Amino acid sequence: MNEQLAFWVLAAIAVLGALVAVRKRNLIHGVFALLVFFAGLSGLFLLLLAEFIAAVQVLVYIGAVGVLLLFAIMLTERVAGDGGQRMTSRGWFWGLVMAVAVFVVLLLPAIQQLPSPEAAQPIKPSVEELGKKLMDPYVVTLEVMALLLTAALIGAVTAAQGVRMPKEEDSPE
Amino acid sequence: MSLELITDILIATVPLMLVFATLFAFTTWLERKALARIQNRIGPNKVGIPCTRISLFGLGQPAADGIKMLFKEDIVPRGADRLFHLLAPILALIPAMLVLCFLPLEFPWTKSLLPVQAFLLDGAVIFFFAITGLNTLAVFMAGWASRNKYSLLGGMRAVAQMVSYEIPLVLSAVIVVMMVGSLNAAVIADAQTGFNWFVFSPWGFAAFVIFFIAALAETNRSPFDLPEAESEIIAGYFTEYSGFKFALFFLGEYIAMFAISGLAVTLFLGGGDGPGLAAAPWLSVVWFLAKIFALIAVMIWLRGTLPRLRVDQLMGFAWKFMLPLSILNILVAGFAWHAQQQGSTTITVITWVASIAILYGTASGLNQLNRGSARPRKYKYAE
Repeated sequence: MNEQLAFWVLAAIAVLGALVAVRKRNLIHGVFALLVFFAGLSGLFLLLLAEFIAAVQVLVYIGAVGVLLLFAIMLTERVAGDGGQRMTSRGWFWGLVMAVAVFVVLLLPAIQQLPSPEAAQPIKPSVEELGKKLMDPYVVTLEVMALLLTAALIGAVTAAQGVRMPKEEDSPE
Repeated sequence: MSLELITDILIATVPLMLVFATLFAFTTWLERKALARIQNRIGPNKVGIPCTRISLFGLGQPAADGIKMLFKEDIVPRGADRLFHLLAPILALIPAMLVLCFLPLEFPWTKSLLPVQAFLLDGAVIFFFAITGLNTLAVFMAGWASRNKYSLLGGMRAVAQMVSYEIPLVLSAVIVVMMVGSLNAAVIADAQTGFNWFVFSPWGFAAFVIFFIAALAETNRSPFDLPEAESEIIAGYFTEYSGFKFALFFLGEYIAMFAISGLAVTLFLGGGDGPGLAAAPWLSVVWFLAKIFALIAVMIWLRGTLPRLRVDQLMGFAWKFMLPLSILNILVAGFAWHAQQQGSTTITVITWVASIAILYGTASGLNQLNRGSARPRKYKYAE
């Protein structure tokens, strides 16, 4: 009963956040609505007892991606979205069809199994189990991913630094 | 929802809000008084019990301030985003209040409701960092919604600073998590009982210092108070705030200070560990709060002592000094953990000496390197 109520409240928050994020003309408002959506999603993960994923959802999506989006928007013009031209909405029909198609394809495995079967064995997605899995069978994958991300980071720094001009006293910041 | 669950949740959370809000009032008084003494002034000393002549060292000052804030006019600039201008102070307070739940504070009357205590979550420490990070958004929101260039500058500075210092903050906490093997705040605190505190080991001490410095920056405390540098950008992100919204920012900032000090106490200073616990278990709350206050006192002392950093110094310190040192510290702690598993005293002594040497050497080496790259400042628009 409690879970049902919490699910519907969180789902409503997430859906409303997503709708506002899409519909708002003001970009900053849109980003914050998107963050509300992420928060609702994190609550849903928590409801599924996946607390690590919930925490990471907040940490990565709200904390990092949100700030990144805000920074990117700060560097663009006409944040408020007023006075700009209307967003073109030609082809909305095919857009809708595509969206529904993607949704169905994503949900196909679940739909095929309707009515949903009981979970064969209750899994315990605790942080401890997750950590053990990451450190034991998947340690090579983890290390490779870490290496890849480090390489990407160094690449980004190099790209951002650009070609150093011979006579440049002060950086443009 | 069952009534029992609601009452349990209320019993678990309401004391936190009451205790920390009271402590906030006391801390504002303490800070003003201590800063005044450092600057050879007297500080607030008039307001005591109303309608009497008893002044009690000015302890009534926070209440008077609160009443003043409540009745002050609330001004919203014409160009401001009214909704976000209203939401920002609320958003600044919520995460700060929320993370208090993750501190392993065991009030005597909440012993019976262990299942609803948030600090028993397996990932309490991750949750703490995740939710503390939301504070950045509130600061940015305030800076942006005010439509004031000083506010915006303050907001940008705050975001850059908080994002940078979050990395050493988390990396220094990793050491404790590695040593204990758990992210559960209660388990971490329990692992340090009997003065087995992490701060009493070389790697733990280095991590504690890094954590504390990064915590100062995270909470925008002096000497890292660039986002609200009043001599440069008026009051930074809350330039356009007055009345109770300003008070909410103030409250949020202090609660965040308590929360991050509480996490430092949990991770490095043994949580509620202290003498006399066997006789009176309720002392653990007292010890916990006393340790928080010790850290707050150091923060106030630093604020009265140190000048503010420049922006380039701030960034350089985070990325060129704290980050390499904390990464190296993780490595040292990893070796130390394996050495401790051997159980031999000789190996432990060698590990201690070696890690002190490595950490000290790296710190001073990084210091030298950074000093070499700093050129004397050239003024572009001034002679």
